[in-house]
Amino acid sequence: MPNYRLHYFDVRGRGEIIRLLFNAAGQKFEDVRYTKETWPLFKPSTPLGQLPCLEVDGTLYPQSGAIYSYLAREFGLYGKNNMEIFKVDIVMNIINDLMPFIVSVFVEEKDEEKKKTLLEKLLNDDAPKYLAQLEHVALQNGGAYFVGNSLTLADLAVFDLTDNLLQFKPDILSTFPLIVNNRKVVETSPALASYLKTRK
Amino acid sequence: MPSYKFNYFDLRGKGETCRLCFIAAGVSFKDHRIDYAAWPGNYKAETPFGQLPYLEIDGKKFAQSGAIASYISREYGLYGTSSLEALSIDGVVGLAADYFTMWAKSHFEADAGKKTELQLKLKDTDLPSFLANLEKILTANGSGYYVGNQLTLADLSVYDILENSYRDYPSVYSSYPKVLANRKKIAALPRIAEYLSKRNVTEI
Repeated sequence: MPNYRLHYFDVRGRGEIIRLLFNAAGQKFEDVRYTKETWPLFKPSTPLGQLPCLEVDGTLYPQSGAIYSYLAREFGLYGKNNMEIFKVDIVMNIINDLMPFIVSVFVEEKDEEKKKTLLEKLLNDDAPKYLAQLEHVALQNGGAYFVGNSLTLADLAVFDLTDNLLQFKPDILSTFPLIVNNRKVVETSPALASYLKTRK
Repeated sequence: MPSYKFNYFDLRGKGETCRLCFIAAGVSFKDHRIDYAAWPGNYKAETPFGQLPYLEIDGKKFAQSGAIASYISREYGLYGTSSLEALSIDGVVGLAADYFTMWAKSHFEADAGKKTELQLKLKDTDLPSFLANLEKILTANGSGYYVGNQLTLADLSVYDILENSYRDYPSVYSSYPKVLANRKKIAALPRIAEYLSKRNVTEI
C-alpha cells in the first residue's frame, strides 16, 4: 500500500471528494491543510503551483480530476469495467460543466452586487440545468446509485456538489427525488457515516 | 469491434480530441458532422443531454467529450501502461482543459473591450504559463511524449487544445522548444499526418 498525503487548503473546495474517497475506501492518508501563511512556503514544491496535490510515496501529482480518477481506480470505486468507468466519467464531466459557474460566483467575482446576481443565476438556472442531467443519469441507471449497483466516485462527487448547493438553497433538490435518495444512501453508508458526522 | 458513430459540428471545438483518439488508434468510426446552421433542428432531441458531441456505440448514445476521449483511449492503448501513468495523463489533460476554459472565455466574450483585454491576457499570461508547465513536464519525462514513452491521450489533448493558439500566437512558442518538438512529432505520426492533410480548415 503506497503512502498517501493529500495537500490542500483548510476547506472542502476541490479537496473534499479526495477525503471522501479515502474514507469510503477505509484507506489511511495524511490530510495536510495549508493556510494563507503556510501555502506560499509549500507552493514552489508543487508541480503546477496549485492545490490539491496527491503525494504518492513521496512524489507529488497535481490536478484534482486526475487524483479523483486515480484513487477511484485504486480503491475499486470506479465501476467494474471500461463501460462503467465511462459512465462515471460522464457524471464527472457533467459536474465539470457546472464548475465554471460556481467558480465565477465564489472565486472570481469581487463586486458584491454582481456576485449576488450571479449566485441567483447559479441557483435558479445553471445548477438546476445540470442537476436535471444528473437526475436523468440516475433514472437511466435505475437504482440507488449513479453507476452500477454500488458506491462509486460518481455518487461521492454528486454528494459533494449538492452539499454546497444545499447550503445556499435548501430546496434546490425538491424536483430531483433520485438525487435526494442517492444522498441518503451515501450519508448512511457504513464507510462514510462517521466521517460525515465528524468532518469540518 | 463495436460500431462507432461520433456526432459533432463540423468544427474542432470540443470534438476534435475524440476524433484524434480514433484516428491515432487506427479505429474506424463514422465521423458525423452536423451543420451548425442546421442546429438545433431535429438534432438536439436526439442527443443524450441536448448537447454535442455524443458517441454512439452499437447504437447506444454517450455524451461528454472528456469521458468519450478517455473511454476510447483506454480501450485502444492510449492511456499509458499503469495506474500512475494514467494519473499523469489525466493531470496533463486536466491542465489542458483549464487552458481551454481560458481560451473559450476570451474567444466567446461578447463585449468588445473586455474581449481585447482577455485576448491580451491569454497571449501574455495564460498561454506562456501553460506552455511553461508543459515544457517542465516534457523535460522531466525526457521521451518527447508527455507521459511514458509512447503516444497517449495527453499528447493528443495538448496538440488539439493548442491548435488555435498556435495559429494565432506562434511567436510565443519560440521559448518552448520541447513543446514545439512534441507538436511536430504528433503531427508527423502516419495516421495523424494523413488525417491532418485532408481535414477541413475551420476557425475553431
